[in-house]
Amino acid sequence: MDPVLVAQGVVSGILFGGVYSLMAVGLTLIFGVMRVINFAHGDLMVWGMYLSWLLATRLGVDPAVGFVACAACLYLLGAALQRGLVDRIVDAPHEMQILLMLGVALILENAALLAFGPEPTRVRSSLTAWTVWVGPLFVDMARLTAFAVALALAAGLGLFLYRTDLGRRMRAAADNVYGAQVIGTDVRRVYAVAFGVGAACVGAAGALTASFLPFSPALGLSASVASFNIVIIGGMGSLVGAFVGGLLVSLAESLGAVFFRPSLKEVVSFSLLILILLFRPTGLYGRRLP
Amino acid sequence: MTDRTLAPGLPRRRFLAAAGATAATLGFPAVLRAQPRTFKLGVVHPVTGPLAEPGQACRLGAQMAAEAVNAAGGIKALGGARLELLLGDTQTKPDVGRTEAERVVNQGAQMLLGSFDSGSTAAMVPVAQQRRIPFLVDIAAADPITANVARAVKEGQQKVQYVYRNFPTGSSFGRKAVQYFTEIFKEAGVAPKRVVLMYCNDLFGQNQARGFQAAHKAAQPGWDIVEVIPWPEPPSDLSTEVARAKAQKPDVIAPITRPASAQLLLPEIRRQRVEMLGVVGPGSPGLYEAGQLATLKEDLEHVLTSVPWPNFKHPKTRTLAEEYARRSGGKTFDTNSGYSYDGVFVVADALERAGSADPDAIVDALKKTNYTGGLMQYGGPIVFNELGDNPNAIPTMIQILGQKPVAVWPREAALQKFVFPRPKA
Amino acid sequence: MTWIGLGALAVLLALPAVASPYLTTVCTLIFFYGYLGQAWNLVGGYAGQLSAGHAAFVGVGGYTATMLSLEAGLTPWIGMWVGGALAAALGGGIGYLGFRFGLRGFYFVLLTVAFAELLRVITSNVDAVGGALGLYITFTGDPWQFQFQDTRVYYYVALALMVGATLVAWLLERRRFGAYLAAVREDESAAEALGVNTFRVKLLAMVLSSFLTGIGGTFYAFYLFSLQPGTMFGIPLSVEIIIRPIVGGAGTVAGPILGSFILTPLAEVSRLYFGQGGWHGAHLIVYGLLLIGVVLFLPEGAYPRLARALRRRGR
Repeated sequence: MDPVLVAQGVVSGILFGGVYSLMAVGLTLIFGVMRVINFAHGDLMVWGMYLSWLLATRLGVDPAVGFVACAACLYLLGAALQRGLVDRIVDAPHEMQILLMLGVALILENAALLAFGPEPTRVRSSLTAWTVWVGPLFVDMARLTAFAVALALAAGLGLFLYRTDLGRRMRAAADNVYGAQVIGTDVRRVYAVAFGVGAACVGAAGALTASFLPFSPALGLSASVASFNIVIIGGMGSLVGAFVGGLLVSLAESLGAVFFRPSLKEVVSFSLLILILLFRPTGLYGRRLP
Repeated sequence: MTDRTLAPGLPRRRFLAAAGATAATLGFPAVLRAQPRTFKLGVVHPVTGPLAEPGQACRLGAQMAAEAVNAAGGIKALGGARLELLLGDTQTKPDVGRTEAERVVNQGAQMLLGSFDSGSTAAMVPVAQQRRIPFLVDIAAADPITANVARAVKEGQQKVQYVYRNFPTGSSFGRKAVQYFTEIFKEAGVAPKRVVLMYCNDLFGQNQARGFQAAHKAAQPGWDIVEVIPWPEPPSDLSTEVARAKAQKPDVIAPITRPASAQLLLPEIRRQRVEMLGVVGPGSPGLYEAGQLATLKEDLEHVLTSVPWPNFKHPKTRTLAEEYARRSGGKTFDTNSGYSYDGVFVVADALERAGSADPDAIVDALKKTNYTGGLMQYGGPIVFNELGDNPNAIPTMIQILGQKPVAVWPREAALQKFVFPRPKA
Repeated sequence: MTWIGLGALAVLLALPAVASPYLTTVCTLIFFYGYLGQAWNLVGGYAGQLSAGHAAFVGVGGYTATMLSLEAGLTPWIGMWVGGALAAALGGGIGYLGFRFGLRGFYFVLLTVAFAELLRVITSNVDAVGGALGLYITFTGDPWQFQFQDTRVYYYVALALMVGATLVAWLLERRRFGAYLAAVREDESAAEALGVNTFRVKLLAMVLSSFLTGIGGTFYAFYLFSLQPGTMFGIPLSVEIIIRPIVGGAGTVAGPILGSFILTPLAEVSRLYFGQGGWHGAHLIVYGLLLIGVVLFLPEGAYPRLARALRRRGR
C-alpha cells in the first residue's frame, strides 16, 4: 500500500471532516437544547447552498464572504420554523416530532425543486481551485476554509453558551425547563434562538461547501442521515462531540476508501454508528439522556 | 428548469384535462372513451424525482415528435388519426411506474413508450404483457428487460412478446466502447497500456462497468484495465478515489459518471495533476450536457465519452436541436430527448404498416420494422432482433471541443477530428 | 364498529367486478401498504418501539424469495416463508441488540435505519445478489411462480394479506400479550416494576412484525418484477411504511388501514393534478403539508378521532 496514498487519505479525511462538523454542530445544538430531532436539517443546508448560489450568480458575492448572509437568512427561517411549528411539538412523542420535521423536509426539498430545478450545480468561488502542495500531498483550500470555520464556529458557540447570559439560560432550559422558567427565562425565546442558531450553522455549512460539493434538492435527505450519524457518534448535545464526530466519521470513510472498495465506505460509518449505539449510545462526548 | 412548454397556472383547458384525469382515477373510463380519430400513446417518464432532468427531456422529445407526426397528417393508414400522448410520471419509483402505466392504459392508451430507468421499465413490462399493450422502450439499458420476455415466449409461458427496445443494451454499450477505445488509440498512433476504470456504483454505473469489463475480457485488446474504482453515488468527496487512480500511473482514466459525480471528479483530476493521455469514458451522462458544461467549463475540455448521440450530419437534426433549445430553456438535444423523439416515429411507422390498432397487428409490424428515418446515430436501419432489441442502436464517441460536444468517431459519424492525447495543460 | 368493517370488506371483495384495472391497481397498493403498515404497527404502534428501518425486512424477504426462485427454481409460495423466517431472524437480531443494550426512542430509530442502510449499501456491492443492477423476474403469468396474468388476482392477494395482518393485530389486542404490549408502550419502567418481562415482550413483537413484513417483501418483489437495493431497502420505503399507521392511528387495529386509504389516493390525485400542470414535485409539498397538519391537529391519528366522533353521534 502506497504510503503517500494513505497519508493523503488521512489529510483529505481530516479536511472533509470540517464539512461534516459544520453540518453536525447545528443539529447537536438543537437537540441538546430542545430535544427535538430535526429531520429537516439536511434540507436547511441545501437551502443555504442555493442561497449562496443566488448571491453568487445574481449579485456576484463570493461564497467565501456570502456565507454570513446565508447564515443570517437561515437563522430567520429557523427561528420562524420554531415559533410556528416546532414549539407545538416540543413535548410530543418522538414519532410526532419525526413526522412533523419530515413534513417540513418534504416541503423544503420540493420548494427548492420547483424554484431551482433538479440538476446538480456548484458555485464558483475564489477558493474553488486553490490547492496548496506540501511535498507529495495536497491541501484543498476550500475545504481547509470550511474546516477553519467549523472550528471557529464550535469555539464561538461554546463561548456563547458558557459566557453569555442568553447562553447560560439556554443551557439551563436544556437541563431543566421548569427551573429555567422559575429564574425568569423566556423559554420560548430561548428555543427560538437555539433553533435559529442551529439553522444558521447548517446554512453556513451549506454556503461554504457549495463551492466544492455539487448539490441538488435531493441532497437534503442524505445530508440529514449523515448529520445524524455524526451527532450520535459524537454525542447528542455536545459541541466538541459534533466536531470530533465529524472528523472521525470522515477519516473512517476516507481510510475505508483507501483500503477497501470506495463504494463501500458508507458501510464504515454505519457500522461505527451501530457500534456506538450499542456500546456507548450517548456518544463519545454526550451526557446521559434523561 | 421546469417544463417551459407549459406555462404555470391552470387555464381552462388544462383544468378540464385534470378534471377528466380525476374522473378517470375514480375508475370510470367511459368518460374519456368517446374520442375518434386519435391514437393514444402512453408516454411515461420520471419527470420528478432524482432523474427528473433526463425524464423531462424525454417527455419534451416525445411531445415534439408527436407534434411533427400530427403536423404531417397523422397516421394515414388509420385515417389520418392524430397521435395523442397520455403523459405519466414514474417519479423514478417502480410501483408508481406500474400504476402510471395502468392509469394511462385505463385512459385508453393503446401503446406505451418509456420509461428511462430500468426499475420502472421492468415494472411496466407485466402491464404490457397482461393487457396486450405494445410497449416500446425508448431508453433503458438493462438487458433482462427484453431478454426475459423473449425467453418466456420461447419457453411457451407467454404467447406474444409485446416489449421492444430501441436503445443500446448494457452489453452493446460495452462492446462498442472497447472497440472505439482500441480504434482511437490506433488512429492516434499511441499505445496506452494502463486504463483505470472509475464508476458510480448505482444501477446505471454498474451495468455499464460490467458491460465494459466483460467486453474487454472478450476482446483482449492491447490495453489493460489495471484498477477498478467504484464510488457511492452521489458522492460527497472523491479525493481519495482519484488519489488511488493516480497511484496506478494511468495512461487513461475511464469514468462512468452521473452529473453530480462528474462535477466532483473532473476538478479533482485536474487538482491532483494526474498525468495521462486523456479522459475517455465508456459512456455515461454528466460529461456533455449544457448544465455540466456551464458548471465545469475547462475541466470538461477534451473529454471523450461514448454515448448514444444524435446524427448532426442530418439537416433535420440541427433544426430540431435549435427548436429543442428554445423550448427547453437552452438544453442540448441529446440522448434522452433524441431517443424518445425517434421512439415516437418508430411507433408511427409501425402503425402505418400495421394499418390497424389491434395489438397483435402492431407487434407484427414492429417486428418487421426497417426504419431509416431515425435522427440518432445508428449503425444501420432500425430493426428488432429475436430478443426485441435494436442491434443497430449504437453509441458514438463524442468529445468536448471548444466547450461543445462533437461527434468524433466512428469516421462516418465524425463531424471533427478527435484530439488525443489531450494537450499538456 | 365490526359491522362497518365487515360491510366494507364485502364491498372490497366485490369491487374488481365493477372497477377499472387502474382503480384495482390503486387498491392493490392501498392494501399492500396497509399490510406493511399493520405489520409495523405490531412493534411500532402496540409496543411503542419506533422502527424507521422496516424496509430492511421487506428487502430480506423479497431478495430471499427471488434468489431461491431464480437460482433454485423454488416456488415463491414456499420461498416467501423462508424469506419471512430470515427477516424474522434479522428482526430478532436487531431487537436483541437494541433492547438488550437498552436503546429507546430516537436511538432505537437510528439503529434500525443504520441496519437498513447497511443492507442497502452491501447489496449494491455484492454481484451475487445482483448488485446495484438488481434482480429481474421474467413475466410468465404462472401462478405457481406467484405471478398472475390477471391483475385482479394481485388485488385479492393483497387484500388477503391486509385482512390477515389486521386479524393478527385484532387477536393480539385481546390476548394478554396485548396488555403487556400496552403496558410497555405506556410506561416501560412501570411495567418492569410490575413484573412484566419487557425485553421478551418487545422482542416477540419485533420478531412477529419483521416476519410479516418479510412475507410482504415477496409480494413486493413479484409485483414489481425487479428488485433494486434502493427500492427494497431504501429510506423512502421505510417512510411509506410508517406514515400510514402514524397518520391513521398507531396502536389501533384500523389505524394503518385508514391511513392507507387516506394517503395512497391522496398521493395519486395530487400527483395527477399537479403533475399535469408542469408543477413537478408540487404534490410532494401537499404530502408534507398533510403530514404537518396531522401532527399538529390529529396527533393520535385519524382513526381514534373518527371513532370518538362516531361514538358521540350515538349508537
